[in-house]
Amino acid sequence: MIKKFTFNMRLFWQGASLSYVALFRWLTPITYMASKIVSPLAQMIFFVVLGMYATGKDSAPFYVIGNAMQITAVSGIYGVTMSIGGDRWTGTLPYLFGTPANRFFMFTGRALVHILDGMIGVFIGFFWGVALLGLDLNSANPLALLITVLVTTLSTSGLGLLLGSLSLVSLNVMFVNNTVYFLLLLFSGANVDLTKLPLWIQSFSNMLPLTRGIASARMIVNGASLGDVAPLLFQEFIMGMIYISLGYFLFRWFEMQAKRKGTLEAI
Amino acid sequence: MNWKIIKSHLRVVFLTFEMTFRQNMVDSFILFTIVVQPLLIAILAMWMLRERGGDYAIFVIVGSGMSGLWSSLLFVSGNSITSERWNGNLEGLVASPTPIQFAVFGKAMANVTQSLLSMIASYSVVAVLFDVQLRMEQPLVFFSSLVLTMLTFMTFGLIISSVFVINPDVQRWQNGLEFPIFILAGFLFPISLLPGWTNPLSYILAPYWATRVLHAATVGLATSSEIILTWSMMILFGILYIALSGRMFKKMLYRARVEATLNMQ
Repeated sequence: MIKKFTFNMRLFWQGASLSYVALFRWLTPITYMASKIVSPLAQMIFFVVLGMYATGKDSAPFYVIGNAMQITAVSGIYGVTMSIGGDRWTGTLPYLFGTPANRFFMFTGRALVHILDGMIGVFIGFFWGVALLGLDLNSANPLALLITVLVTTLSTSGLGLLLGSLSLVSLNVMFVNNTVYFLLLLFSGANVDLTKLPLWIQSFSNMLPLTRGIASARMIVNGASLGDVAPLLFQEFIMGMIYISLGYFLFRWFEMQAKRKGTLEAI
Repeated sequence: MNWKIIKSHLRVVFLTFEMTFRQNMVDSFILFTIVVQPLLIAILAMWMLRERGGDYAIFVIVGSGMSGLWSSLLFVSGNSITSERWNGNLEGLVASPTPIQFAVFGKAMANVTQSLLSMIASYSVVAVLFDVQLRMEQPLVFFSSLVLTMLTFMTFGLIISSVFVINPDVQRWQNGLEFPIFILAGFLFPISLLPGWTNPLSYILAPYWATRVLHAATVGLATSSEIILTWSMMILFGILYIALSGRMFKKMLYRARVEATLNMQ
């Protein structure tokens, strides 16, 4: 039993680190800076200035927090999806499905480093917010903010795992990724006060990861305690678990279908 | 250069235009860049600017359309030579009797023309979803400026694609170059909101002058002096881009023929 657990944990860690290394095999410090620092910062500045143009300078923190939290989607959506979908394109999928390895650990391990990477991205976003855009974090409880960022990144990566499974059956993975990324930008409340939108949009937003995480982060920056945001964080966590479960179900279904129909390497 | 050669070069431009146009229409990444992304940006901007009040819908349509035009230029035209390298066609293109600039210009023409879809899509969706009055105060100025914008963007495509091939390090910044231009060119907000030191950066960007005159034409603020200034700047940048691209392509051909390093990244 312990031996099996140790083996699965090794699989989890190796999957986590190697998939990250494999995904970013093209990575150089310049590319990392452009994709993970400059691009999210520029996106943040764009929406913050647009928000200030719309509602005045006093509303800047609303947009800074929303867009800093949204940075988690860069790793959670693009990174995680490509970590899973990449096996199909590089031809390693048959080997992967040929092993007796535990599929759950194999599947979820792909998200681990992206969760850490996504969290770093969010904190870089908050750093830019404080340094360049006048965000005041004096009232924020650091632990509560850390937990909020962790839970939100986890739930967003859950959606990434689901999209990763979809990328095993779809040819248009980048189209799906890009669209989902922008839909999150639109419906997660990063840039719009959701209470001012129609009810059906609010219902849709509540089915997405990030929505409650962004709301929690805004409350924490305004001085709320961990207890105040606990219900929201719990819901955000559950949302992430639902997406991970759906993704895992689809992953197993794809494996069964591909083995049955011989479409494992179809691209 | 006699007429026969000109005709042959123009044939290459139009054939490349047609081929690229057809290929792009079935490429989901390109469709996202020129239709979906500007559309989602338009919807988001409509929601955000609602708080501001006033007649902002046409402003959003132009701004989001320009964002589609820039994204397409950056990611699609920017990759137009690189993609030939990836496909192993670059040496053949370089070796053919027609200068490669004509093929690249045909591609840029197709990309920029297709990018107009972003403005059309934003216009249609905003009109339908938000049920707003869309008025264009100076349509003639607007459409003339749009044609000039497209031509300037095509020449910009020549520069950007050759820079990316000659200098892969610059291409690594590709992802990071999208939103800075959205900001500096003032697609969806005036650049006066930005710190003063960034304004000179805006002035050296052709998209800024294009956006400025297009926004002004929609609200009837495009005075003669404004039109002369913005059009002159776009023409000036267009000429500059053509002159610079000539040097870039010369360097690229040197690498291809003398150093034989063209297909190395």
